[in-house]
Amino acid sequence: MAIHEKSLIRPENLSTHDNLVIDGVDVSGDWSTFIHSRVVSDYNEALEEEISALPGGEFIHRCWQCGSCTNSCTVNAENPDFNPRYWIYLIRMGMESELLRDKDIIWQCVSCNKCTSACPRDVVPEAVMKATGHWLELKGHTAPSNSTIFDDVFTDQVIKHGKIEDGEVMIDFMKKSKQPLFQDWFVQMFKQMIKGFPVLSLMKMGWSTVFHPKTKGWAKARDAINEHIEEEHAIQRKALGLDTAE
Amino acid sequence: MSKPILIVGGGPSGLAAAHSAASVGQKVVLIEKMDRLGGAPILSGYSKLVPSGEWAKDAIGSMVDRVENNKLITVHKDTKVTEFSGKPGNFKAKLSSGKSVNAGATILCTGFTHFDSINKPEWGFGTYPDVVTTTQVEQMISSGKGVRRPSNGEKPKRVAILLCVGSRDRQIGREWCSKICCSVSAKMGMEIREELPDCHVYIYYMDIRTYGLYEDIYWKSQEEFKVKYIKARIAEVTSDGDKVIVKGEDTLVKRPITIPFDMVVHAIGMDPNVDNMLISDIFGVDLHNWGYIAKENTYGIMGATSREGVFVAGAAIGPETIDDSIAQGTAAAMSALASLSPAIAAE
Repeated sequence: MAIHEKSLIRPENLSTHDNLVIDGVDVSGDWSTFIHSRVVSDYNEALEEEISALPGGEFIHRCWQCGSCTNSCTVNAENPDFNPRYWIYLIRMGMESELLRDKDIIWQCVSCNKCTSACPRDVVPEAVMKATGHWLELKGHTAPSNSTIFDDVFTDQVIKHGKIEDGEVMIDFMKKSKQPLFQDWFVQMFKQMIKGFPVLSLMKMGWSTVFHPKTKGWAKARDAINEHIEEEHAIQRKALGLDTAE
Repeated sequence: MSKPILIVGGGPSGLAAAHSAASVGQKVVLIEKMDRLGGAPILSGYSKLVPSGEWAKDAIGSMVDRVENNKLITVHKDTKVTEFSGKPGNFKAKLSSGKSVNAGATILCTGFTHFDSINKPEWGFGTYPDVVTTTQVEQMISSGKGVRRPSNGEKPKRVAILLCVGSRDRQIGREWCSKICCSVSAKMGMEIREELPDCHVYIYYMDIRTYGLYEDIYWKSQEEFKVKYIKARIAEVTSDGDKVIVKGEDTLVKRPITIPFDMVVHAIGMDPNVDNMLISDIFGVDLHNWGYIAKENTYGIMGATSREGVFVAGAAIGPETIDDSIAQGTAAAMSALASLSPAIAAE
């Protein structure tokens, strides 16, 4: 593009009048084009502190905008709009409304951590991306992603029983992510398992599905983990200005 | 022993030169135009110095004390040199007090003048009371009164520090980098955040030049004190009657910025001493084309000027740090001593 600034003009900032006459001069259409300024007036100066209160966001304030993260980014190579440097800057300067424009691509980070290796100041950009995605979910700007739902289902079971049960993880995940359980690929996988697995294994699995296996003496650990998680969540929610009770 | 060395100016380089010469038994006459020694750090009321973090009155104060208590050093305050004549080994200086001094060599430690922000009217200094200079903030801190808005005495919630005010600006004929303002501003940002943790500090820069080990100050200001840096040259500073409004372009995200602040601080640069034309005339030394006192060479005799037997040190040569001014004062003392020693000179 010859004039790169052209890409900065947003359609909603362009205004023209179809019929406009000023002092007897007809300036209808393109002749009356006016580009509104992109000045941001609603800064959220707490934004940096909010992100840095979430796991992974701790070192965002170190960033000095060298661009190593964006240059090394796997996703950026595919999608030029995926720009960690830019988002880190928006967060640090409190330009929340600008950040939200990209809320639907921030989660695309594939956690390859090339940025983390390239960063000269140990910002750990990959973790910042995670924290930012987390922030978007907590604030209700984006729905929890499938990977977040899966993590929650999996973690909940571990905390509850000290062990997971595969069947229950799948059933719970499908339910919470609002997917039908009997999808073709799932039914197919189940059929193959029945065909290929030794009978004893199948019986074990069936038994596990009915009687969820538990780690012995887990109760104490469960209480301690739950207490810790509650504390951490309360701290995070407070930092984000959310109701501390979930 | 030969005639005394005449040192003009009692700032860091002059104090270092006087002390160095006297420490090897050389008599020194130190001329200071103001009523006290110490130079800019004392006269302008600096707070903590970069990079040591020591208070100016302690650090420079101890240099003043050891000069004033040295019997080999005669100090003339409130005094200027009005005439200067003679040859190396036998100079004669007339003082504004009417006295005259015979000197074997002379070291000019005449320093610099702070840039006057009035010369950048678009940045609001002199128009809006809440636009101040780094020197004024240094005084707010060193006086113990703390950083307050001059307009109403309140604690600021948002402070902007504009770098390169009176430096690197062809529009006003100042094409040099004043070297130390970045480090001073980073330090000042930390001092403000330390006193007022709720106050956001933004530094608007073209480049950050916290060179060498001063990088530590830059990192610390970001990592420990959360001072924020925005790459923008400010276009204009206006006011809505209460806040000071800063306008510019944030070049990293290519967007216009219009941000209200409680205070705007100009990180002012180091101009040549306003008296340099006069000094050049009286002492018969050439000036650099930007108005500083010209060094005769870089790799030959340290601190040599265009006139044999007259040396120069510190910010008189160009924008300089206190540390390096002290080093140059010491180096110039060595050069002056060597010039007085025929045995060494003959070899």
